[in-house]
Amino acid sequence: MLKLSNVAVSYGSFTAIKHVNIEVAKGEIVVLLGANGAGKSTTFRSISGISKLSQGEIYFQNSPIGGRAPDKNVQAGIVQCAEGRKLFPQMTVQENLRMGAFVHRMKKAEIKHSLEKVYNLFPILKEKNHDDAGSLSGGQQQMLAIGRALMSKPKLLMLDEPSVGLAPLIVEQMFKVIEEINREGITVLLAEQNANAALSIADKGYVFENGEIVVQGTAGDLLANGEVRKAYIGV
Amino acid sequence: MDILIQQLFNGLTIGSVYSLVALGLTLVYGILHIPNFAHGALYMLGGYITLSMMTLYGVNYWFAMFVSVIVVGLMGVLLERFVFRLLREAPPLHDKIAAIGILLFLEAFAQFVWGADFHTMTSPYDQVVNIMGLTFTMQRLLIIVSAIVVMILLYLFLKKTYTGSTIIAMSQSREGASLVGININKVAMLTFMISGGLAAIASSLASPINLVFPGMGHLVILKAFVIIILGGMGSIPGAIVGGYILGFSESLGATYISNDYKDIIAFVLLVVILTVKPTGLFAKGER
Repeated sequence: MLKLSNVAVSYGSFTAIKHVNIEVAKGEIVVLLGANGAGKSTTFRSISGISKLSQGEIYFQNSPIGGRAPDKNVQAGIVQCAEGRKLFPQMTVQENLRMGAFVHRMKKAEIKHSLEKVYNLFPILKEKNHDDAGSLSGGQQQMLAIGRALMSKPKLLMLDEPSVGLAPLIVEQMFKVIEEINREGITVLLAEQNANAALSIADKGYVFENGEIVVQGTAGDLLANGEVRKAYIGV
Repeated sequence: MDILIQQLFNGLTIGSVYSLVALGLTLVYGILHIPNFAHGALYMLGGYITLSMMTLYGVNYWFAMFVSVIVVGLMGVLLERFVFRLLREAPPLHDKIAAIGILLFLEAFAQFVWGADFHTMTSPYDQVVNIMGLTFTMQRLLIIVSAIVVMILLYLFLKKTYTGSTIIAMSQSREGASLVGININKVAMLTFMISGGLAAIASSLASPINLVFPGMGHLVILKAFVIIILGGMGSIPGAIVGGYILGFSESLGATYISNDYKDIIAFVLLVVILTVKPTGLFAKGER
């Protein structure tokens, strides 16, 4: 479904990622592991079209999408839930969700239906639907960010560190929701530092270090890999 | 007492014009973080286009204003597309230099085409109305009513339509807007178009009670900057409230302090409010 072939991204003279090869099949959960600044977010930004490629090509459903504008990618079903959430803080929860359905803005009934689905997935959002997004707690904001991404009916959902800064109980809940979203047929690409939790729901993973992929394999392989365990799981 | 009410009415008139100008300025600032110094030149062009349509082609006031809104709106789009978009990755200082450059160019252009003379715009609404001992011209009443109608329409557009809310969304998070599939280039052009249109409406409304000349935008734009700083940069309610605060202070100050100091009041107000509340009255909350 998604294929990155020898992708590199540079910011000025600084090369953020290089030689990145990733393949994601339809229906999978694929996790990108790595420390802060290892290149996970840049990889996401390049797939979304926010960062331009300096080398390589990205294919989505077998057609090249490298260098395509972000809004075209969202229309095609590639939706990113970015690190830092990037919500509209002075808009209400419901307004944020409705903006999420921007690419489907002409289909009123469909938006209503999606809204119901998101509210079922995150009942707390329904409770707070008239509150400003900026007034929500971190966990609620993360739910809203995922909800907003779901409103555009993604084929591929990219989640950039959804568990960062959240209480352990909320993190557990978050991963359950990700599995549930995946069961509905949405392919998930997940960037995480919480390797244990991420690998437990993933099909396969890639480990980033200094902008390059150093290890890759199925989730089971990575969990069994001594170096990965030492670096990211701590046992 | 009569004088007070009369002056409050005058304040409402000038305040309406200020609010319209400041709204255009704050919209652009809100989404692109560009202090568009050229906004005053767009205001001035709006006045000249309406005037020319009326004198050269003899069309009616409202149609002339409509043409002016379209032309100046498109002018705004061109500025975004061919000046500010190209500078998006450049240091912020470059935007400011470009804006001043556009201002100087447009003023010289107006002087070249229309000359440096002062022109009067005759409005079809110059009859004097007398209500309960108060006298005012229809034009002044028209300014207030039209400005309020335009502000309500703008509010409905921004709040109730998907297209309008993209402007709000982009002002709160540009990357967030990108991520939900909004084409930020289109939103930027739309915002400049609305901004230019508002400037043209404001000058077309105000010209019959002022004069049309190449420098007519100077004081207006300086005051509009005071207003959006008062109201909080990028804040829409701030621009409206700030516009009226300034309008009232000027008309009351002119009567009760001195007419000669009328134009200083804006800047004194700026100093006072920034001393008391440096973020402006309606500053956007910290995230």
